[in-house]
Amino acid sequence: MNRIVVKRDGAEEKFQTRKIVNAVFWLLEGLDVKDDYDLVYRIMKEVDLKVPERVTTEELDYLVLKAIEQLIPRNTIYDRLAARQLLKIITRKLDLRFKSFAEFIHFGVQEKILKKELLNFDLMVLEKAVDESRNDTLDYFGLSVLQDRYFCRDRNFELIEKPQWFFMRVAMGIADDETQAVKIYHKLSALEYLHSTPTLYNSGTTTSQYSSCYINVVEDDLLSIMDKVRETSLLAKYAGGVGTDVTRIRATGSRIHSLNAKSSGIIPFIKIFDSTVNAIQQGGRRRSSQVVYIQPWHVDIEAFLDLKETTGNAYLRTPSLNTALWMPDEMMRRIDKGEMLYFFDPAECSGLVEAHGEAFTKLYKEYIKQAEAGKLRLWKKMDGREFYKKYLFKLAKTGHPWLTFKDAHNRQNPCPAYSVINSSNLCTEISIPNSSQSTAVCTLASINLAKHVNAGKTDLDWEKLHDTIATAVKALDNIMDRNFYPSEESKKNTMDLRPMGLGVMGFAEALLDLGISYDSDRAVTLAGQIGEFMKNTAYSKSAQMAKERGAFPHYLEMQQQGKPYPYKPRRNAVLLAIAPTASISIIAGTTSTIDSYFSNIYARDTLSGKFIVVNKKLMAQLEAADQWSDEMYETIKTWNGSVQHIAELEGVIDRELYKSAYEIAPARQVDIAAAFQRSVDQAVSKSIYIDEDLRDKMEDIYLYAWNQGLKSTYYCFIDKTVKGEKYTTQVNKRGARRGFGSRSPVSAAAEPETGSVVETVAIENDVQALEAQARQQFGDAVVDKVLSGNMDSCPTDPLLAKICPSCE
Amino acid sequence: MQQSGLIGKTSVRDNIIISDNPRYPIFKELYIKQKKAIWFPEELNIQQDVLDYKALTPVEKEVFDMAVGYFSSSELLVGNVLVNGFFPLLIDPYAKMSFTTQMFVENIHSDFFESIMQSFAMDRDKLYRITQTDPLLYKKQDIIIREVDKLTYGKGDPYTVAGRKLILKSILLNNIVMEGIFFYSTFAHFFAMKDTGKMKNVVSGVELVLIDESLHLQNGIEAILILLDETPEIVQDEEFVQEIQTVIIDSASLEFEYLERMFGGKTIYGLTFRELKRYLQYITDRRMEELGFEPAFHVDENPLKFLQKEDFKKLTNFFEVSSTEYTNY
Ligand SMILES: [Fe+2]
Ligand SMILES: [Fe+2]
Repeated sequence: MNRIVVKRDGAEEKFQTRKIVNAVFWLLEGLDVKDDYDLVYRIMKEVDLKVPERVTTEELDYLVLKAIEQLIPRNTIYDRLAARQLLKIITRKLDLRFKSFAEFIHFGVQEKILKKELLNFDLMVLEKAVDESRNDTLDYFGLSVLQDRYFCRDRNFELIEKPQWFFMRVAMGIADDETQAVKIYHKLSALEYLHSTPTLYNSGTTTSQYSSCYINVVEDDLLSIMDKVRETSLLAKYAGGVGTDVTRIRATGSRIHSLNAKSSGIIPFIKIFDSTVNAIQQGGRRRSSQVVYIQPWHVDIEAFLDLKETTGNAYLRTPSLNTALWMPDEMMRRIDKGEMLYFFDPAECSGLVEAHGEAFTKLYKEYIKQAEAGKLRLWKKMDGREFYKKYLFKLAKTGHPWLTFKDAHNRQNPCPAYSVINSSNLCTEISIPNSSQSTAVCTLASINLAKHVNAGKTDLDWEKLHDTIATAVKALDNIMDRNFYPSEESKKNTMDLRPMGLGVMGFAEALLDLGISYDSDRAVTLAGQIGEFMKNTAYSKSAQMAKERGAFPHYLEMQQQGKPYPYKPRRNAVLLAIAPTASISIIAGTTSTIDSYFSNIYARDTLSGKFIVVNKKLMAQLEAADQWSDEMYETIKTWNGSVQHIAELEGVIDRELYKSAYEIAPARQVDIAAAFQRSVDQAVSKSIYIDEDLRDKMEDIYLYAWNQGLKSTYYCFIDKTVKGEKYTTQVNKRGARRGFGSRSPVSAAAEPETGSVVETVAIENDVQALEAQARQQFGDAVVDKVLSGNMDSCPTDPLLAKICPSCE
Repeated sequence: MQQSGLIGKTSVRDNIIISDNPRYPIFKELYIKQKKAIWFPEELNIQQDVLDYKALTPVEKEVFDMAVGYFSSSELLVGNVLVNGFFPLLIDPYAKMSFTTQMFVENIHSDFFESIMQSFAMDRDKLYRITQTDPLLYKKQDIIIREVDKLTYGKGDPYTVAGRKLILKSILLNNIVMEGIFFYSTFAHFFAMKDTGKMKNVVSGVELVLIDESLHLQNGIEAILILLDETPEIVQDEEFVQEIQTVIIDSASLEFEYLERMFGGKTIYGLTFRELKRYLQYITDRRMEELGFEPAFHVDENPLKFLQKEDFKKLTNFFEVSSTEYTNY
């Protein structure tokens, strides 16, 4: 087959494999590779199938990328090669357009994509700090996600940023001066910590929206509801996630005095939020999302549990919203003890909304008495266990509502005089006092613990960790004064409390480096140590900043009123929050949040497409032990990414270290979260992974989480056992039965095959045999030269042609 | 001729007892698997892909539209074949449960493709008729309809070898050729879209369709193997065995032709005709082997390596793509 390459200037030339071979060898430069010919050969085999009769150079680059991408699970080196090829595609155009970093910044400002304040920096100093050798820190998945969604684009949607420029642009949008910018740049580009997605998108740009989460409160009146719909739509528009407490809205059948009518309850109002957020979701780089929180004593709770069902009356369903419960201790206690739960109308029992702890319990009991005495108009009761079972069934079925604990959150409220904590946020890690006049806002960053293991892999590098925490805390505090606040209420909350949320990711990867099993007491101990260290470091940094820049205004206000809080002045009311880090852990190429490895091989679905994620540490360790092969890959694949049952690995690796999420006891998952939670002043967002066999234990697991003092849980993942036929592994459905084969096989009269497909198959099957034969016939020198693909023209001898990578 | 426990003609009074020791335990297993896999189109957020759809290039759009159009009427066709074709002849209770579940699931599928067309305001009338107006798609359906209609008009007698052959052939054409070859071919087009970052929510639904179809395929293979086992006379008929092989290979050739027309000479969603053809050869070989034939093309490795993504446990970034993790409960 004759294939034509159309070059950028329109000229045409014959497609030559040799050129691609050379280009791939170029990608290998500087890498320590054992068998480079074999690596390149495998890429060429894939490329050969992909190249059509006519192709442009640009498409060709892309096809080479796709070919390498397919091989990623086969050898650790392919990931690096794919990342380099992608970088090549990104930079080729960019380098023609901008001669330097400074030129890019000037262009961005001129086009009103970047903030003009960026020009106040000495760009020469920053340009010198930009370190292109850092590019190799990013893996393929991370770089793909960055270029797809994070890098700035011009008005024609063309990329104008490459990795190091991106990190520097983000740093400039946060820093006060060149020194701080360079400091932040180094931390970010080394992936030691990352800011949350909105900050990475918008820092330094004309959309100065840095925050991930907003949390507002809806009052029980129509104006407030519509006002919060308006606020939510503005918050969501700027890609923030919004948490909304709807507990105050009166229940179905509750009396509306001004109309002398009965209320239709909370669901129709929640539905307004659903439609609003759905309208705004369209077309964003990141889908805006909202979660509605309710305290489960609300008498409309059963309809609330059904919001995420996918069948039934569409008016009572909210497909675009998330839902969560804000559960008081007294109700959990009743569930635990199998006592009755009572449900009330917030219009009638409004005291329950803000009461917490003992006060709530007292009031709840008082309302129970009144209800049983016939003094309340609207109430219900249900056996606690029954309710709990019903709730967990919904959680397993629809993934919602999440379970968070009102009293655990409020017990540690640093500013009770400001307000109660009415709910958490979209990812359940935020815990900030708020009200209908004060919408909580939180700006997040997460430390990559995997980059803080010491050189000997014996312990964490605590000094480095200290440095990173201090850098991040100062950066997050800076952001508050540069941030754009979509509503007055959200600005007020930050200006009063200056809250921030510093969290972690890469905990599991760090454990693996340290040789500690996630499913062990040592892991729990280390989690506690890290939490404590983070708290001490962040708090002392915040205290130091209070000296330099002043304590948070609400603190000072209380001091002036003669009702000071019983703690030393600090710059920020709260500082720590462990977020799920779904996207930024991909950029950092590490495990998300404090979770274990999900699996050793799995597929990850994102807005940028579907990616195969292989536990690179496992792969590298097996490669070093000469145990990584296509067969081993297939075996692990057959076990759905688990290595626990692969006997050949006994003694080769410590399999205990490579347990996947569903193989770790749920109680252990809770213990690790609880160990962090002891020091984290806001909350830990903890998803729980439950093997299908443990479905019956869900009641115990969530009671345990409550007992261990978790403030929040998040998604509940239950291992899905239904699988289709494996697509790329042969499955014998016939077994020993002979089917049509009971007759002697009739030769399958397939059409005659032509073209390089068959040739490729032949090569694939016999390449070693052919090579050996050729070596015998022509000698090693000739064969090596042919194999290297560096010949001026292809060999004419048919045997040599068969092993020549350039031959069609 | 040996009595079959699978097919026959009985009164509605018969076979209304489920044994705790079923004659064909595989159908109980397949029923349970299908039950566990049930999902609904409402669980996906198809609408999210509307901007993606608008941004498709003309060739990309063509591939997408043709794929959706082909499935939209074919899902209903599968339902028809089951209802009018061999289903009335099934007598085993679990086999009936397994095949009725399949019928139900085909409704879900056509509902799914219908909602795609609604969401993107596609030309529904044109697409439902695409299998009549497009000559190749017409042939792909006709090869099935022609044979099955013999059953539709009552020619399949489960008490003769000839009748059983007819029944077997209709199962083969429906569950193996249509679902196991034609559908699988088009699945690859959808998965390539997601692989290139397009139409992700739609493709999340197709992932669920794939799980279902792999179970339907198994339904068919089991039924055929049972019929062969109970009717050794069928395999004795060399001509018939040859005919079955020819049908499979002819069907694959029709599909090659279609693929060449759509993908020949270009790369769409990163796919070329050569890869797709080889992929289809791989798929066809698997079907041949499952039925006990020798493979026709000797392709042992799936060349579309990105499809291995369908084989793994999946972790979804919830705020980015609609999750399908909670659908199989
Ligand atoms: Fe179907
Ligand atoms: Fe089907």
